Amino acid sequence: MTATIHARNLSRRYGSTVALDDVDLDVPAGRIVGLIGPNGAGKTTALKAILGLTRFDGTLEVLGLDPSKNRDELMQDVCFIADVAVLPRWARVWQIIDLTEKLHPRFDRAICLKYLAKTKIKHKSKIRALSKGMIVQLHLALVMAIDAKLLVLDEPTLGLDILFRKQFYSNLLNEYFDEQRTILITTHQVEEVEHILTDLIFIKDGKLILNDTMDDIYERYTEVLVKPGDVDEARSMNPLHERVLFGRHIFLFDQAEAMRLDDLGEIHKPSVSDLFVALMGDKEADAEAHAGTGEDAG
Amino acid sequence: MKDMITRLAILVRREMWESPVAFKWTPVILFGFILLSSILALVIGMRVDGDLVFTRDGLRMFAELDPEQRRLFASGALFSISALFHQVMYLVLIFYLAGSLYDDRRDRSILFWKSLPVSDTMTVASKVLAACILAPLLYLGGIVITQVTLLVIATAIGLFADINVFSTLWAPANLPKQWTLMLYGSIVQGLWLLPIYAWLIFCSSWAPRLPILIAVLVPLLIGMLQHFWSFFSNFKLPEVNLLLIMLDRIGKGVTPASIEWEQIVTSDGANIRPSEDLFMSFGSVTRHLFSLEMWIGVAIGLTLLAAAVWFRRRATDN
Repeated sequence: MTATIHARNLSRRYGSTVALDDVDLDVPAGRIVGLIGPNGAGKTTALKAILGLTRFDGTLEVLGLDPSKNRDELMQDVCFIADVAVLPRWARVWQIIDLTEKLHPRFDRAICLKYLAKTKIKHKSKIRALSKGMIVQLHLALVMAIDAKLLVLDEPTLGLDILFRKQFYSNLLNEYFDEQRTILITTHQVEEVEHILTDLIFIKDGKLILNDTMDDIYERYTEVLVKPGDVDEARSMNPLHERVLFGRHIFLFDQAEAMRLDDLGEIHKPSVSDLFVALMGDKEADAEAHAGTGEDAG
Repeated sequence: MKDMITRLAILVRREMWESPVAFKWTPVILFGFILLSSILALVIGMRVDGDLVFTRDGLRMFAELDPEQRRLFASGALFSISALFHQVMYLVLIFYLAGSLYDDRRDRSILFWKSLPVSDTMTVASKVLAACILAPLLYLGGIVITQVTLLVIATAIGLFADINVFSTLWAPANLPKQWTLMLYGSIVQGLWLLPIYAWLIFCSSWAPRLPILIAVLVPLLIGMLQHFWSFFSNFKLPEVNLLLIMLDRIGKGVTPASIEWEQIVTSDGANIRPSEDLFMSFGSVTRHLFSLEMWIGVAIGLTLLAAAVWFRRRATDN
């Protein structure tokens, strides 16, 4: 069984800007991977390379195919929402459904209609008459009805209300996802995806800062709500990050001894957004993060 | 193979959905325009010519002409209507093709199209087929409806004039021949104009903006440079001029049954016997189809299309 995504020394430069810097990446089948990074970190470039939409240096195989050469073949099994609201504005809803049905061998009309029935979208409407959120709903309904091996979602829920976002991620997990499929998601709304992710990748300046399974991450990183008296001791243990919430000090540790942490205070799983801030946030934490996770980036 | 044809068919249909004005509404509007002007002419005519006496007399005189001339007038008049349709069609196609690989890059919907398992070759092919097959068929539909409607109006008047409408109007109009010839001719002209179409598609595939302007300006500038260069270097007009070649090709391509321009231009005019064959001849269309010029053009067209596929392959939303 070939890996869904297999990349070695994947690089892409735009003039003097390095969008991807020697990235190595392996994603097996049956994962839900969150690709998280600040704006301009190289997320979109990485996705475009995977989808065969941009040139790149290095080796890249997606489902065993080279996306820069076998794009047409690859698109049989790969599905993507590259960005919000890119459906053709002149088309009507039924035309888009007809087109996708006739052009995509793995599209199931019944599933698409089922999802559309939950929205207020009318089949006769023109795309240009739909609201931004409705266009996203339509696009998601189309994509969920395609039986793909790799689904790439670039900011899929931008412009959607919170009810629909929750609904969407729950459908994605419960109805769409299975062990043959891989889903790659980028989003800024990290809190909403973290409970469905199996893998987490942080990307910054074209390099992978973190690339691990969620289980390993929870094993490795620990958040401690430190008792007021133990703050100095906690600081001495070389924490990754410290923040203050309602007067309580919260420390994030990388591979600290569980026994010692227990004595310091309440232990939590860190949230992805706190990890993100700790690893990518201010410069000082950043420098530590680079030193601390060097082997992951390599 | 069958799968490929159904996929191409839906892609070509997509073109009609995207550009309903170019493919659907323009022929409808032309039909409306011609119908309206004929009715207007009749209404105004009735003011001057109460009970259409003169019109009916005219029809009676027409009925007494010798058959050869009747044929020439009837088919010629109807043919000129089809020429209007075709000329408008080629004009509309220029704009359609110049936008064909550009509009979705501009509004970013290219990302949606690229998410479907459709090869770039197939995408480009669908644009070519829309211009070479779909448009001629739809415009021919408009021509058929217009010609039949006009003949029906003439028939109504003819019945009042007590003439044999069949032998006077319908037989000389020779509609089945016109329609087959137009179908054949417009397919051949699609091939003839392929280098022009391909040039527009090619410009559309990479132009950062205003592909139509680039498509016109580039040959214009090259043509003018050639002109000046050869004029200043040896005081002669250039023998080979890109702009003139392109204009010549468009000029010879605007009617489906190629009028034998060469014959008109080279002879002194008086020697040409006015006959139906001048504008309606299967022979001249076929000669046209098998000319060397035709196939050189096809080869250039295919090269440009291959280049357009190359650019399309690399095109994204930025």
